[in-house]
Amino acid sequence: MLVRRLIPLFAAALTVFGQARTQADLDSFEKVWTTIRDKHWQVKPGGLDWQAIHDEYRPRVEKASSHDEARAVIQEMIGRLKQSHFAIIPAVVYTVLDDEVESGSGTTGIDLRVLGGHAVVTSLDPGSPAAQLGVQPGWQIERASGRDLEAVIDQARANPAVHELQLTRAVLARLSGPIGGKLEAAFLDGTNKTVNLTLDLTAPRGTASAFGNLPEQHVWFESKRTGSIAYVRFNLFLDLPRVMASFQQTVENCKTCDGLIIDLRGNPGGIGGMAMGMAGFLVDKPNQRLGTMYLRDSTLNFVVNPRAKVFTGPVAILVDGCSASTSEIFAGGLKDLGRARVFGTHTAAAALPSAFERLPNGDGFQYAVANYISEGGQPLEGLGVTPDEVVELTRPALLAGHDPVVDAALDWIRRQKKP
Amino acid sequence: MNRRILILLLACAGAGVTSVYGADPLPSAESILDRYVQVTGGKQAYEKRKSEIAHGTVDFPALGIKGTMTRYAAQPDKYYYTVDIAAIGKMEAGVNDSIAWENSAILGPRVKSGVERAEAIREGNMNATVNWRKLYPKVENAGIETIDGQECFKVVMTPAEGQPITGYYQKKSGLQVKLTTVATSQLGDIPLEIIASDYKDFGGILEPAKVIQKAGTQEFTMTLERVEVNPAIPAATFALPAEVRALVDKTVDKGEAK
Repeated sequence: MLVRRLIPLFAAALTVFGQARTQADLDSFEKVWTTIRDKHWQVKPGGLDWQAIHDEYRPRVEKASSHDEARAVIQEMIGRLKQSHFAIIPAVVYTVLDDEVESGSGTTGIDLRVLGGHAVVTSLDPGSPAAQLGVQPGWQIERASGRDLEAVIDQARANPAVHELQLTRAVLARLSGPIGGKLEAAFLDGTNKTVNLTLDLTAPRGTASAFGNLPEQHVWFESKRTGSIAYVRFNLFLDLPRVMASFQQTVENCKTCDGLIIDLRGNPGGIGGMAMGMAGFLVDKPNQRLGTMYLRDSTLNFVVNPRAKVFTGPVAILVDGCSASTSEIFAGGLKDLGRARVFGTHTAAAALPSAFERLPNGDGFQYAVANYISEGGQPLEGLGVTPDEVVELTRPALLAGHDPVVDAALDWIRRQKKP
Repeated sequence: MNRRILILLLACAGAGVTSVYGADPLPSAESILDRYVQVTGGKQAYEKRKSEIAHGTVDFPALGIKGTMTRYAAQPDKYYYTVDIAAIGKMEAGVNDSIAWENSAILGPRVKSGVERAEAIREGNMNATVNWRKLYPKVENAGIETIDGQECFKVVMTPAEGQPITGYYQKKSGLQVKLTTVATSQLGDIPLEIIASDYKDFGGILEPAKVIQKAGTQEFTMTLERVEVNPAIPAATFALPAEVRALVDKTVDKGEAK
């Protein structure tokens, strides 16, 4: 008797669960459809009758027998736009990316890239805990806080929606934690010998900088000389007054330089206008622009105002898959204007203020609210900047103390020097 | 851009007529603009003002950014304003000797030209309120619209050079409560909507203490806190900053800059 009563209850529970799944998928569908209707830069998104699209796809989501099937229908719907940077990221990807990551801004001072499926140290913050313990560029990071990083990388790379910037951030997150904490990590050194280290977690490099509602971020700017070639690198287009002033000072001190290298690898962007402002120190010709951004009700020209003192020598810009947004606008625009030669690997193709939101069913939704066309006529969103010279980092080169991308830029600048 | 807000508002006024409208027919645009001058202080009050320094704040609520604004103006056509926002730095603009310029930490110095220069010079005219007939050769009453439950006359003002400006004047109070135009800027033509409210007496002239400006996807609020009336403003205040002067000197096309 008890069993007989439990069965209907169990069935009822299943029914409720099923309805909850369907409702979450329907809510997610409505969220995606409404967001595109309200925020797409075209009143008729993709030139489509968006209401008709709704009426066509909603019944299919209602009939979907599983979460995966519902997601596929929503994916198909946004695929009708035939535009980049509209994507559904399965909830499981977030699980892989976020799982067991202890929050905190404490860092070991390691920067890394995923090279050949492995997390490889590419640079170290000066004086950082990792640098003090002798970690070197080129070392491979095997484990962090008990997690096998290769497994994390494999899982994330299995999904094409995860791009290099996301992947790198996810791996870096496993090398972070609360400031003052400690992190156990296992490396392969230059001889492939395992090195186990306990690393302190310290405040990130740079100066804490706030910009409105954005969370406070640490911003650093460095400049140096290699012979008569100047090199600048900064991690974000933020802390505007300080970074712009530092950039200006670098350029003005470079009047007689043979060339200037601007390293935007790992720079995810920031304030878009800074790309225009910095370009003004490098472009002498009036009435130039880096590109054009198309919003729903206006068009914004990314203009360049030539400064009174402009550096007119060769400019090399270094990029990689973690160069995004303002970095891409800057690099792509100066490349299109013929003012800079770009070295490195393809950029993140995330030039726009595209947003990520979590949907009611747990999936992620990426959408763009504008279209940006670089001065060369090519949209950066979804395509990114293709370097003039594709140069990839390799572990052997890093272990040998070389940065092949910097080396390529130096060689090019030296070749430009007039006899 | 911040200067534009107040200047555009002030520029939509006129002098003289004190009529109060009847029911029909629609009053002329001229009488509406003249009434605005009258209800905000009168021609004499405007003409007594030879210089001013206005102090206020700017607030971009969506971005979480706030700053301060100071505007200097002197008859007949000198102005200088500066906006300081910690996260962005200083933004300044001005008109002096018919050179319209702007300078910011983000975009650098620039000398305006063409329509943009014409608009800046028009906005820099301190007597714009009472000189609207010179600034806007064509004005017309385009009808009545209700804004926030109040009937407003819709007046379209067309300058000799630049985009028309549409001002909305409350039928009951004569005050301007809204303004729309398309601003010419180097970034492109940007639709502007300006909402004016909280009119207060600043040294004998009513000015909107609160102005909300919607420009494309951006919206900010400017609050006017106090106005110094007829202060002595050193000439150096209106002088071109060194970076702008260097550009002017560098520019071959000085005829355009002038």
